[in-house]
Amino acid sequence: MEKKKSKLRIREARNGLLFITPWIFGFLVFTLYPIVASLYYSLCNYSVIKAPVFIGLQNYKALFQDKVFLKTISNTLYMMCLGVPITTIIAVGVSVMLNHKKLNQTYTGIIRVLFFLPTLIPTVVACLLWIWVMQPDSGIVNQLLGYIGIKGPGWLSSPTWSKPSFILMIWTCGNAIIIYLAGLQDISETLYEAAELDGAGFIKKTFYVTIPLMKSTILYNVVTLIIGVLQWFAEPYIITSGGPDNSTMFYSLYLYNNAFSYFKMGYASAQAWIMLIFALLIILLLFKGFKFGQTDE
Amino acid sequence: MKKRAMMLLALAAAMGMTFGTAAFAEEAKTETKTITVDGEELTVEVTDIGKQGTFTYWSAFTGDSQTWDQWRVDAFNEAYKDLGVQVEVQFVPDGAGVSNGKLLSAIAGGTAPDLVIIDDRVSAYQYAAEGCFTPLDDTLKDIGLNVDDFFAGMKDVMYYDDTCYLIPQDSNVIMLFYNPDIAKECGLDPENPPKTLDELNAWSEAMTVQADDGSYTRMGIIPWLDSGEDAFTIPYVFGVDPYDAETGKLNLTSDEMVGYMDWVSDYAEKYDAERINTFTSGMGGMFSPDHPFMTGKVGMTLTGNWFTNALKIYAPDVNYKVCAVPVPDYGRANCTAYGCNVFGIPAGTDNADLAALFIKFCMQGVINEDNFATWRSIPVIDSEFDNVSLTKNGDEIYALEREIANNPECGIPALCSVSSELSQEFQSLREQVIYNTDTDIPAALQTLQDKMQATMDAKQ
Amino acid sequence: MNSKTYKLKIWLNKAFMYVLLAAFAMIFLLPLFFLLMGSFKAESELFRVPFHWLPDHFNLDNYKRLFEQIPFFRYFKNTMVIVICNIVGSVISCSLTAYGFARLRWPGRDKVFILVLVTMVLPYQVTLIPLYLMYTKMKWVGTFLPLTVPCFFGNGFFIFLFRQFFVGIPKEMSEAARIDGCNEFGIYLKLVMPISKPVIASVCILAFTRSWNDFLGPLVFLGDDRLYTLSLAASMLKSPMNPNWAMLLTLGVVMVIPVFILFFVMQKYFIQGISMSGIKG
Repeated sequence: MEKKKSKLRIREARNGLLFITPWIFGFLVFTLYPIVASLYYSLCNYSVIKAPVFIGLQNYKALFQDKVFLKTISNTLYMMCLGVPITTIIAVGVSVMLNHKKLNQTYTGIIRVLFFLPTLIPTVVACLLWIWVMQPDSGIVNQLLGYIGIKGPGWLSSPTWSKPSFILMIWTCGNAIIIYLAGLQDISETLYEAAELDGAGFIKKTFYVTIPLMKSTILYNVVTLIIGVLQWFAEPYIITSGGPDNSTMFYSLYLYNNAFSYFKMGYASAQAWIMLIFALLIILLLFKGFKFGQTDE
Repeated sequence: MKKRAMMLLALAAAMGMTFGTAAFAEEAKTETKTITVDGEELTVEVTDIGKQGTFTYWSAFTGDSQTWDQWRVDAFNEAYKDLGVQVEVQFVPDGAGVSNGKLLSAIAGGTAPDLVIIDDRVSAYQYAAEGCFTPLDDTLKDIGLNVDDFFAGMKDVMYYDDTCYLIPQDSNVIMLFYNPDIAKECGLDPENPPKTLDELNAWSEAMTVQADDGSYTRMGIIPWLDSGEDAFTIPYVFGVDPYDAETGKLNLTSDEMVGYMDWVSDYAEKYDAERINTFTSGMGGMFSPDHPFMTGKVGMTLTGNWFTNALKIYAPDVNYKVCAVPVPDYGRANCTAYGCNVFGIPAGTDNADLAALFIKFCMQGVINEDNFATWRSIPVIDSEFDNVSLTKNGDEIYALEREIANNPECGIPALCSVSSELSQEFQSLREQVIYNTDTDIPAALQTLQDKMQATMDAKQ
Repeated sequence: MNSKTYKLKIWLNKAFMYVLLAAFAMIFLLPLFFLLMGSFKAESELFRVPFHWLPDHFNLDNYKRLFEQIPFFRYFKNTMVIVICNIVGSVISCSLTAYGFARLRWPGRDKVFILVLVTMVLPYQVTLIPLYLMYTKMKWVGTFLPLTVPCFFGNGFFIFLFRQFFVGIPKEMSEAARIDGCNEFGIYLKLVMPISKPVIASVCILAFTRSWNDFLGPLVFLGDDRLYTLSLAASMLKSPMNPNWAMLLTLGVVMVIPVFILFFVMQKYFIQGISMSGIKG
C-alpha cells in the first residue's frame, strides 16, 4: 500500500514536470541565459561586429560618471516620486467614488467604461495623440486652460514642463481603476455599516475602512507602476526622443540608445544589470510587504 | 626546331593578346541604351562586367524619395535585363537600419544586403570605421567609376584611413533662407542680405516682435532651428574643425567653437530659450505647413536646399530668398558643410561588383534629374551641373548652390569612429547650454572632448 | 440634525460626486474625441490656431488616402500573424504549465512558482540585449520569429492567471477521472480546459492587446517595411521628413476600432482578466 502510494507520488511528480516543460525551456533560454549573458557582456567592450573584449568593471565606473545616465536616473526617480503617487491617488479616488453604494449602479457602470476606454488605445497611437494634446498653440490642454484665462506653458518643448506633460498621461490609468474596484468589492458591507453606526461619514469611512483594507492591492499596484516607469520606453521615444535638454531621457530609452544607436552593447548591458538589481529589490519588497507569492494551500 | 618555337611564341603572344583584350572588355564595356520606364524614354549607360546575378539593396528613403528610389530600381532592372543583372530593393526606414542596429545585426548574422543607401552620413561613417563596409577602390576601377573629380570636400565621408568605403549619391547645401517681405517691413534691404554674423544679429533683432506679456509674435533667427539643430554643420561654417583625421585628435575647445557656442548662448539668454521654443514648437518640423518660417513666426532660418521644395508644397504663398550662411570674421564665408546620402556595400558580400554597377548607374544625370529638380540637390561633380535642367533654365538658387559647393573650403566635419555618438553628445551639450546659459562653456566642451577622445582611443 | 437637511446633504453629496466623476471622465475622453475628429479634418485644418473641435466638413478623404497610400492591409496582416501566434502560443503553453503548478504535486513546486512570479515583474529590457545578440546569431533578426516563438514557452502573468483558476477547480473531479483510467493529459484536455473558458477568454484578450500594442519588440527585431506591424508603421510615418498627420490620426482611429469592438463584445472577460492581475497570489 505504502509502496503503491509512493509510486503514485513519483508518477505525479513526473507528470508535473512534464507539464511545466515548455516553461522550463522558456525560462532557461529566454530569461536565465540572457540574464547571465548580460552580466558577462556588461563586463566587456562589445560592439556586435567584433568579439567582446573583457574590461572588468569599467562600464559600471563609466556609467556613474556619465552625466546623461545620472540624469536618466533623476528623471526616472522624478516620475516614480511624483507620477506614481498622483496616478495612485486619482485611481483610488475615482474607484472609491465609483464604488459608492448610494450611486446608481448603471451610471457608475457607464462611467467605469468611459474611464477604461483610453487604456484600450494602442500605445503608439496614444503617444502620437499626446503630441497633439500638449501642443503650446494648438493643443487641447492649452486650449482648455485658455478658456479659463490661463496661458499654458510650452509643455513638451520646455525642460521644466516636459515631465509633467508625461505625468498627465495618467488618462490611461483605467487598468488601475478596474483593479481597485475589484479590491473594493471584496470589502464586506458590514464593516461600513459598523463605521456608520459610529457616525463616520464618507471621508472617514474611506480613510479608516477602505484604505487600510486596500493596502495590499495599492502596494501591488504601486510596485507595478514603479516597474512600469523603469520600463518606460515607447512614450519618450516617440514623443520627445528624450529632449529637450535630456529632460525626458528615461532609463530604458537611454539603454536602448546605447545598445541600438551607439552599439555599446557592454555599456547598455551594465545598465540592464543595474536595472535588474533595482527590480529585484522592488520584487523583494513585494514579497516581504504583503506575502506576495504565498500559495493558498 | 627554332622556327616552331618562334611560331609557338607568336601564337602564345597572339592568344595572350586576345585573352587580354577580352578580359579587359569584360571588365568594363560601357554602352548607351534607351529604355522605357513608366512610359517614359530614357537614355542610360550600362556597363557589362561579364557577371550575372541578383543583389539586394536596402534603401533608407521614405515618402516621395521612396517613390523615386523605386523608379530608379525599375530603371536599373530594365537597363540590365539583357545582361542578367537585377536588384531587389527593400525599404528599411531609420537610415537603412543604420540608426537602429538592424544593419549591424544583419552584417553580424550574415544576412546583410549587398548594397545600402544611408541618409545619415555621420552614422554611415561610423559604420565604415567599424569595418562594416567593403573597401571600394578596386571595385570602382573594375567597373570604371571615376571618383577623382568629386568635390574635394566629399572625400571626407568617402575615405576612412585612405580607403574608400562610401560613395555620395548627391549633395546638399546649407543656406540662409529669409523672407523679403518681413525684411522690407522691418526697414531692411532684401537685396542686400546679411553677410557677417554681426549683420545677421542686427537683422534678427530688427525682425523680432515682442508682445506686452513678454511672449514673441515674431523672431529673426533661431540658431538651433533646422540645420542649426544638426550637430556640426553650422559650427563648421563658423570655422570649427572638430576632428583632425591626420592626428586622430578631437578639438572641441578651439576659439571658433567657443565663439559659436557663445553666439548660441547669447540668443538663448537674450530671448529666453523656453519662450522661444514654446513659440516655435510645432508638429511637423520641416515638412508641414506648421514650420515657423512658413507661418511667419521667424523671418530667417538656416537650412538646406530641400526646404525650397517644402516651401513649394506647404507654403506656396510665402516669399523667400536665399544667401550664403553669414559667418563671423574667423568663419568660412560662402561655404557649406555638405549634406549627402551615401551608398555603401556591406562587408562580406559576394556581389560587390554588381552592387557597384547600381552606384555607377545612379551617378548619371538622367537618373538624378528628378531628384535634383525636385529638391534642388546638387551633383557631386561640378561638371554635372551643366546637365541639370535647373542650370539650363537659369535657376538662381541653383547657381548660388553651385558657387557655394565649389568653395574648396567645403567639407564634412567631425567624421570619425565615434561620430554618431559625438554628434549626439554635442547636440545634448548645446541643449544644456541653451537651457542653462550660465554653463561654463569651455569647461563643458573640454569634458566632452576628453570623454569622446577616450572612447575613440579605446576603439583603436 | 433634521431629516430634511440630512436628505439635502446626501443629495448634494451625490450630485457632487456625479459631477466630479463625469467631469473626470469627460477630460479622459477628450483626446479620444480629438483623435476621431482629427481623422475627418483636412491637413490645413489640423494646423489651424486655435483649433476647432469639430471639422469644417466631415469628409472621409483621409480614410480613402490611408488605404491608397500606405500598404495598410499588409501591416494589418503582419500584426495579425504575430497576434494570433501570441494568442495560440500563450493559451497552450501557459495552461499546460499552470496545470503542472496547480493540479499536480511535486517537490519544490512552490519554490519554482516563485520564479514564475518573478518573471512576471521582470523588466523586458533586462533580457533584451542578449536576446538580440542571440537572435542575431540565429539569423532571426528581421523575421517574425523573435516575436512569435518565445510565446510558445510560457509567460509568467498568463501562467499565474491560469493557475489561479485551476486551483479553484475541485480536486475530486480529477480523482474521479483518474479512477476511470484517464491519464493526466486527458484530464487537462477533456476535463479542465473545457470548464476554463472564462480564463482562456481573459488570456486571449490580454495576449491580443499586448501584442497588438507592442512597440519595442517590433522596433528592435523587425527590419524592412514589408514586415512592419501597425504600431511600428505608425511610428515610422511620423518621420521628421514628412509627418503626414492627417493620415496618422486616421490610422490611429483605425487601430483603435478593433480593440474597442473586442472590448464591447467581451467586456466581462476584459474586466475579469485585469481585476485578477491585481489580486495577490
